[in-house]
Amino acid sequence: MPRVSVEGMRFYYQQAGEGQDVVLLHGVTGNMAVWPLINMLPTLAADFRVTAYDLRGHGYSETPPSGYTSADMAGDLVKIQQALGLGPMYVLGHSYGGVIALHAAVLYPEAIAGLILSDPYFPGLRHLETSLSAWSGWQEYKEQAGRAGLQVSEEDWFDVGQLFAQTANLPPERHEMFRKELGLAAMDRLTRLAATTCGDDVKAVAGLTAERISSVRHPTIALYGEHSPFLATCRYLEANLANCRVALVPDAKHRAHEENPAAYVALVQQLLRELRFAERAGYTGGAA
Amino acid sequence: MTITTEQIHSDVAGILRNFNGREYSGDIGPETCFFADLGLASIDAVVLGETLEEHYGRKIPFHLFMADLGRRAVRDIKLGELVAFLHQHLSA
Repeated sequence: MPRVSVEGMRFYYQQAGEGQDVVLLHGVTGNMAVWPLINMLPTLAADFRVTAYDLRGHGYSETPPSGYTSADMAGDLVKIQQALGLGPMYVLGHSYGGVIALHAAVLYPEAIAGLILSDPYFPGLRHLETSLSAWSGWQEYKEQAGRAGLQVSEEDWFDVGQLFAQTANLPPERHEMFRKELGLAAMDRLTRLAATTCGDDVKAVAGLTAERISSVRHPTIALYGEHSPFLATCRYLEANLANCRVALVPDAKHRAHEENPAAYVALVQQLLRELRFAERAGYTGGAA
Repeated sequence: MTITTEQIHSDVAGILRNFNGREYSGDIGPETCFFADLGLASIDAVVLGETLEEHYGRKIPFHLFMADLGRRAVRDIKLGELVAFLHQHLSA
């Protein structure tokens, strides 16, 4: 099984196709299987060399006790890029994967050709997302967590560390509830992260302030679900990044790749082709 | 060389009996569900695909199997379905 080592830590990855590099980043508590489940790699491999890997602490990659901020994981991204001999890359990142992608553009601008930010919200822009309870999906999310024996509140919705800790400490009578709702594998995933600093790290600004977010001039697509809870962030990116435009996935919320996979894959393919066309034509948008 | 479904079932069951450090001592039959019974996850299915390619020493279009899994309302795989998929591609 393909693994790449950076500084002694092994990451699981898959790669397909040839051409300019595209790297896919999943979100926290996910893994790279989200992409094969929607046939993303073979689709994009028609035009690009596509690499998808498991973030540290996720899937078949190693789980160090710490180092889960977006700055740390942006470092992983460029080290993996170097170890695999990838060129300047387009990065598609979902949720926290989008935070990592944008942080990489800030810290390692030469490594990045363009960004597709799929429904991220940023710790540095948390002030924008104050009314999550007004989001139509909130109640649904809360109810699902309740059925799994977990409690979430509107005040600390961003605190995934609390979910990790709750899962790791579930009383035995609630194990069956959790397993029935989210599956045994989810319990392993969350419990594994409870033993790390991941929960605290992913809510840390880690240097990715509003000002630094706004400084990004790479060609960027803010790809959000039409009914995403994070549309305030989407509009902020559009208004403040020099070269950013919005694309909305119809009939989708935060997890557009699962909620409307056909539209999501087709849109990503089209957007990547457009980014490449613009790059080859020498178009640099607002940065010119 | 032809390979029978019985042989493939035996191979896959053998691999899943101790899959990447997770042992399973219960019965493994055609109706055994990958996620509900074995407690595995979709990322395990991805890795299983590579393990099977190594085992049989040839490429298997496992991405078709993953995409099919992704389209299911109830996301689980019966071992018998995996065996049928493998038989189709290994005897092609």
